[in-house]
Amino acid sequence: MEQDRTDPGAARARLARVLERAVPGHVDVEAVIPLSGGASSLTYAVDAIREGQAWRLILQITPPGQTADGMSRAVQAALQTRAGNAGVRVAEVVAVLTPQDGLGEGFVMVFVEGETLAPRWLRDDAYAEARAAMLADCAESLARIHAIGAEAVADLRLPVLTPQAQLRALRETYDRCEGAVPVFELAFAVLADRLPEDGDLALIHGDFRSGNFIVGDTGLAAVVDWELAHVGHPLLDIGWLSTNTWRFGQTQMPVGGFAEREAFYAAYEAAGGRPVDRDLALAFEMLGSLRWGVMCMQMGAAHLSGEVASVERAAIARRVSETEADILFMLKNGAL
Amino acid sequence: MRSRIEAVDLVEAAAAFLKEAEGELSGRMAFHAKVATNALAIAARELRERPGAVEAEALGALLPDVPLDERLAAACARIRSGAWTLETPGLLDALEAGVTARLAVDNPRFSTLQRLRGA
Repeated sequence: MEQDRTDPGAARARLARVLERAVPGHVDVEAVIPLSGGASSLTYAVDAIREGQAWRLILQITPPGQTADGMSRAVQAALQTRAGNAGVRVAEVVAVLTPQDGLGEGFVMVFVEGETLAPRWLRDDAYAEARAAMLADCAESLARIHAIGAEAVADLRLPVLTPQAQLRALRETYDRCEGAVPVFELAFAVLADRLPEDGDLALIHGDFRSGNFIVGDTGLAAVVDWELAHVGHPLLDIGWLSTNTWRFGQTQMPVGGFAEREAFYAAYEAAGGRPVDRDLALAFEMLGSLRWGVMCMQMGAAHLSGEVASVERAAIARRVSETEADILFMLKNGAL
Repeated sequence: MRSRIEAVDLVEAAAAFLKEAEGELSGRMAFHAKVATNALAIAARELRERPGAVEAEALGALLPDVPLDERLAAACARIRSGAWTLETPGLLDALEAGVTARLAVDNPRFSTLQRLRGA
């Protein structure tokens, strides 16, 4: 909120009018607190009062004058709403900003209580009950996302990526980063053989992993970060969830750090998901490690180009060797 | 008594200072100080262990005529062209020697490092 710096009162009033457009009655905005963000994405906690009752919200925007890296916030809001309508646990979208609101491109959603730091909910005793529920909750959410179908989101013009197109896109990024990683070269060659050219594509979340869940006392409260959603192979979501990096050290539980493969596949199928090709699911786990490895390289390149110079980006680039080790282990032993 | 300060000594001294300074910081600054301390620890291990040399030497049996600093690129080119595959004798072991050497520098506590070394 650019204006917030010069006139916070006016920005709060503008936001209150946006909210009044969405719900009946009087709304005041008491505080807008920055939570996190980079150049193109800002997240705020919003403390509002609706008809005398406290109303906690989250505002996510691309600031005025900036363009979103990928998906527009309006498309993200639409997806989140449609996923919610399909029974997926998401934060309910309250209002989408318009250019006339003068607050940037973005939307307001309901604040969902819970833990977002995966290492906490994956390990702490306080989350034992929630953890036990995550297998069924995530399997059901994924099955429901994948049942929405590409036709139902055709108007949103999401990218369509077959598994092979996904692999080619990764290779292009790897080449742009001047990658010289023999293990990645082997993975590209192996996956070019193992991944199908097309397959039964569906709407997929694209970033479905233990770091993108809000976990409440009894299990999954919301799936967040829909920016990488696209039309692709459903097993990409399962493979990404099972990628060793996103087990956050709970390596013995291959799915997200909280579930066994067979139990998860069975729950996904029982919830209406398509039959899981076990061998192909493992190929998608390798694709997950390769994808994260290339993302790490990209962060290193962004640091070196001066685009986003930061010690954090530079350090993340050193996580490439983790993904190389994971891929090597898979190449030697079939699964990690 | 040794008195000459090597690069690795400087890096370790700076890392020790940053670790101390971290306690005085909060929020984002404290987080970045922690990341910076870790980055210096990686640099210190790299100066000591020289994993790049280990990696190049491990490819020596497969690429005896290729100079050390060109072996990584040569290995990539051979895999990409299809000349080397998973079945190429010695390839996976050579790559593993290089990867584990680098990973021991980047993140010595990473679980797959122990699993590869144990296997």
